[in-house]
This record gives sequence, C-alpha cells and structure tokens, in this order.
Amino acid sequence: MVLLLIKHYTLSSVAFFLGFVSAVVQTAFSSSLREAFIGQGVERFSSWMGYGWTLFLFFSLIASACALFLSGIENTAENIFKLTAFISVGAVGLITVYMFVSGIPAIAKIGFFDFVFGTRWAPVGTEVSFGILNMILASIFGCIGAIMIGVPIGLLTAVFLAEIAPKRLASIIRPAVELLAGIPSVIYGFWGMKVLVPSIREFSTKIGYNSTGSGLAAVIIILSIMILPTIIRVAETALRSVPESYTEAALALGNTKISTIFSVQIPAARSGILAGIILGVGRAIGETMAVIMVAGNIVQFPSLFSSVRPMTAGIAFEMGYAEAGLHRQALFAIGLILFIFIMFVNLSFSYLSGKGVRADARQKK
Amino acid sequence: MRGRKNKDLFLGILIWFSAIVTVIVLVGIIGYILINGMPHVNLRFLTSEYSASKNGSKGILPMIINTVYVVILTLLLAVPICIGGAIYLTQYARQGKTVKLIRFATEVLSGIPSVIYGLFGYAVFVVMFQLRLSILSGSLTMMICILPIIIRTTEEALLAVPDAYREGGLALGAGKLRVTLGIVLPCALPGIRTGIVLAIGRIVGETAALLFTVGVSGNFLPKGENIFTALFGHLFEQGNTLALHLYNSAMNGKDPPSVPFATAATLLILVFILNRFAALASGQKKKATK
Repeated sequence: MVLLLIKHYTLSSVAFFLGFVSAVVQTAFSSSLREAFIGQGVERFSSWMGYGWTLFLFFSLIASACALFLSGIENTAENIFKLTAFISVGAVGLITVYMFVSGIPAIAKIGFFDFVFGTRWAPVGTEVSFGILNMILASIFGCIGAIMIGVPIGLLTAVFLAEIAPKRLASIIRPAVELLAGIPSVIYGFWGMKVLVPSIREFSTKIGYNSTGSGLAAVIIILSIMILPTIIRVAETALRSVPESYTEAALALGNTKISTIFSVQIPAARSGILAGIILGVGRAIGETMAVIMVAGNIVQFPSLFSSVRPMTAGIAFEMGYAEAGLHRQALFAIGLILFIFIMFVNLSFSYLSGKGVRADARQKK
Repeated sequence: MRGRKNKDLFLGILIWFSAIVTVIVLVGIIGYILINGMPHVNLRFLTSEYSASKNGSKGILPMIINTVYVVILTLLLAVPICIGGAIYLTQYARQGKTVKLIRFATEVLSGIPSVIYGLFGYAVFVVMFQLRLSILSGSLTMMICILPIIIRTTEEALLAVPDAYREGGLALGAGKLRVTLGIVLPCALPGIRTGIVLAIGRIVGETAALLFTVGVSGNFLPKGENIFTALFGHLFEQGNTLALHLYNSAMNGKDPPSVPFATAATLLILVFILNRFAALASGQKKKATK
C-alpha cells in the first residue's frame, strides 16, 4: 500500500540522484588521486571507473529496476526514450556551462576590456599579455569577406538551379554541390595551402607586395568556397517555396523571366536567403582547420596579404603546446567569446527559421 | 526596351557565370587532390605501418585502423541514443514545450563549430574524466557532434511510416513498445541507415574536434599481450585518424610531400564512397514510400 502511494518515479529518482552525487564527488576529488590513474590500457579503465562511477551505475540499475517493477515495461520504455531524447538538451546545457566555467577565470584575471580590446598577444615569455582584438578582427574580416564573395555566387547559383538550368543539368550540378558540402575541411585547407597560397604569393609580388601568400585573402577565398553549398542549398529551398502565383502574376504583367527573378522571386524569398547567409556566417566564423592551414598564424592587425590569426586558428594552434595555467585558460576564454558569437548567430537563425524557413534546410552540417 | 534587354542579358550571363564558377571550383579541388595523390596510393601505402623518422615507412594502416575505431565506437555510443530520442519525439511525446526544447537543442548542437566541441571534449573527457588523449575521449566528443545528424534523419524516417501500420499493430493487440520496435522501427531502417552513413562521413572528415581529444601522435597499431588487451587497450591510447594525419603531415613538413597528397586522396575517395552510399540509401527510401 505504501509502495503504491509512492509515485513510481520518486524512488528511482532518489537512487539516480544519490548515484550521480557520488559520481560527481568522486570526480571532483580525483585530481588528488591523479597518480592512481597512471596505468596502461585496461588497468586505467578499472581505475577510471573508480567507486563513484561504479556507485552511479549501481544506483542507476536499482533505479531502473524499481521503475520496471513499479510501472511496467511500457512506462519504463517510455522513460528510457525520454531520457535519450533529453541527452541533446543536456549536452547543450553542459557545453554552455563548461564554456563559461572554463572561460570566465581567464577573463576575470586579465580583465574583460584588456582581453577583448587588447592588441598584444604574447602568451609566453617574461611579459605576458593577452589581448585578442586582432584575432576577433581577423575572424570578423574573414567572415565579411567570405560573405561578400560567397553570397552573390551562391545566390546566383541557387537561382540557376531553381529557375534557369535545364532539368538534366540541374540534376548533375545539385549532387555536385552536395559533394562540395561533404568534402572535409582539412582537404579544403590542404588545397588552399598547395594551390591558393602560392598563387596569392605570386599575385602579390606582381602588384608590389612582398608576402608569403598566406593571409586574409587566402582565408576569405577558402571560406567563401566553403560556405557556397550552405548558401546554395538554403537559397534554393527558399526560392522554390515562393508561390507559383507570384511568378505567374509577374510574368503576366509583361516581365521577362530574369526580371521576375530579381524583382519578385528573390524579394519574396528574402527571409530564407537571409537565414542561409546567417548559417554561412556561422560556418565561416567557426571554421578552423581550413583557416589554420592558410592563415599564416601571426597575430597582427589583419590585412589582405599578410599573415593573420582568426580566433579558431588561435585556439587550435596553441592548444597543442599551451601549458596548463593562464595561457590555456585564455584559450578557453577565446573559445567562450567564439561560443557567444556562434550562439548569437544560431539564435538569429532559429528566429528567422521560425518565420517560414524550413529548419531541415541546414541538414548535414 | 533595349536597355532592359541588355540588363536581362547581363544578369543571365552573371547567373551562368556563377554556376560555372561553382562547378569549376569543385572540379578544380577534387581534380587537383586526385591527380596529385592517386599515383602514390597503392597497396603498400595502405597496408604498411607509419614511422615518424625521416626515412621510415610512411604507410597509413594505423590511421585507417584508428579511424575505424573512432567510427565504430562513436556509432555504438550515439546510435542507441539517437534512435531512442527520435522514437520519443515522434511516437511518445505530445507536441508542446518539451518537444520544442529538444528540437531547439538539437538545432543548436548542429550549429556549434567543431573547435568548440574539441575544447569541451578536452575539458570534460580528457581532463575531468581523466581519459587523457585517447580514442575513447575522441569518440565521446564525436558522439555529441553527430547526435543532431542521426536524430534528424531518424525522426524523418519514423514520421514517414504510415499510421495504418501502427494502427494495424495496435488493433492486433500489440503494446505500444512492441509496435514501435517491431513494426515502425524496421520500416524506418533505410532512413536511419542514411543518417548513419552521413554521420560516418562527418566522423571521417572531422579534425578540429579530434585534435585536442585523440591527439596526433598515435601512429601505431593496436598491440598487447593478448587479443583482448590489444583490442580494448587501444581505446585508451592516442589514435591519429586519417584527417588528423593529413593535417599533421601537411603542416609539419617532416614527411615527403607525397604523403599528405596520398592521404588526402584516400580520404576524399572514402568520403565519396560514403556520399554515394547515403544517396543510394535515401533513393531506396524514396522508392519504398512511393
């Protein structure tokens, strides 16, 4: 009778909570047990599984057994499915919390203004200084440049695919664009390093600059290629969802096909196109590998033909050798700034996609 | 009238020009990598070991094995979660705030750049869980990366299953769980397969998220006293994947230039094959629903 009075989840959630607390406590104290974790292969696994996480698993098992006993297999299954569905919510929460927890200390120590608006980045040496303004500017300039080149080409290609191309041709180009989206970013970077950088070097010496070729110009070109597929896909979807009647009305009024496209269809699809551009911005700001391979990685005020280091490249480049301490914390702080940028971009995309753009247009990356 | 004609002509040319630029860029990149890389891809390259010394063997067998490790482990971790989540979203949940929250979270996840995943994986799996740079922490990081891909495709596949199947099952007296697992899920398999192939493509090409979680110095084959320790011990060792190897050998300049080219060509072909599989699987799905 008492058992029936307890709602079926009370018991199980208490067990789950106990297990989780013990696991967290164990992890929190584990840094003092660091020596115990030095081992090879299987030994390390057993020590990692330490008592906290074993207890967690144990209590979780008890919890699920209780749930099974008290609520039957159907409800248990539903709860398990529910739990798995919430893992992505949990992941977003954890990532947000961790980016702030590991980014804030460095910002607090350096000072927000000195960090974001400081122009000198010297993480090692006697007089350390952590100012990332030049990295932020490099990211923003790279992104703006990529948008300025990538958007017109992408939009016009989308117009081509949606309206102009013969069906046969479109059915060849569309998979090709998909392919472009599937190429790993490190291959773009490698291509940029081998083809783009040397040709920019040649070009810049011809017009009188003395440069290695890696720099903002290379970053912009690589990024504008990489955002093409995103913009093409989203813009094409948006153009196709413009009602037929708009087009027909415009044609009936004596417009040519081309002027219909530019004066009726593109304006009607503008919120979708804008969403595509925002997605492109997100990709361009967050892109790491392709950028690091062509940027040259010297922190200075960004200019077209000299070496730059955007935020993402800064993180990836220095994580390899940064000593634990303020340097590494500062890299996490750059990550936090980047994360805030990206979340802003994401939220504006969600806002726009709520206004009639199909969210699945961003499928695959 | 004439001005308008010229304007139309100009814009038309601009449109064709853009489409041609897109195609040329694609063909240029792929062609360059394949032409320079393919001559160096041979059986010996694919099946011999790698040594970092100047004149050592420069094969990529360890990287291929590491890539397979990461792919399999990530899928083992992610697929049950994704399918469970998609089942909840499509079969159980009532439309409302909860579902909206989950959808929003999935969408946010797919927008987070991989370098952030890398930092997160480093902070949580490498440092906090004490897993160090290992294939396991890399796979745990990748698991979160590919959640949105598989959840979305699975969800679509589950939604495409006709309601009549569900009703038929329920009318025959099967419970909801039985209907879901026994009838709805098998019908949605082709769609789920597409999602998985797409996810594999993402894992194979991923670099930034793995750079801080599996490291770039694991260039050795799994080894141990017996097959068990070799197979499972490798999970706790660093493991250079193909994409990481391409980055590392291109940036380091220690390997002869043919190595990154050949690695890039191998990677590209792998991605093409996966892409083709995904297209085939989704083609099947479309036929089946027609």
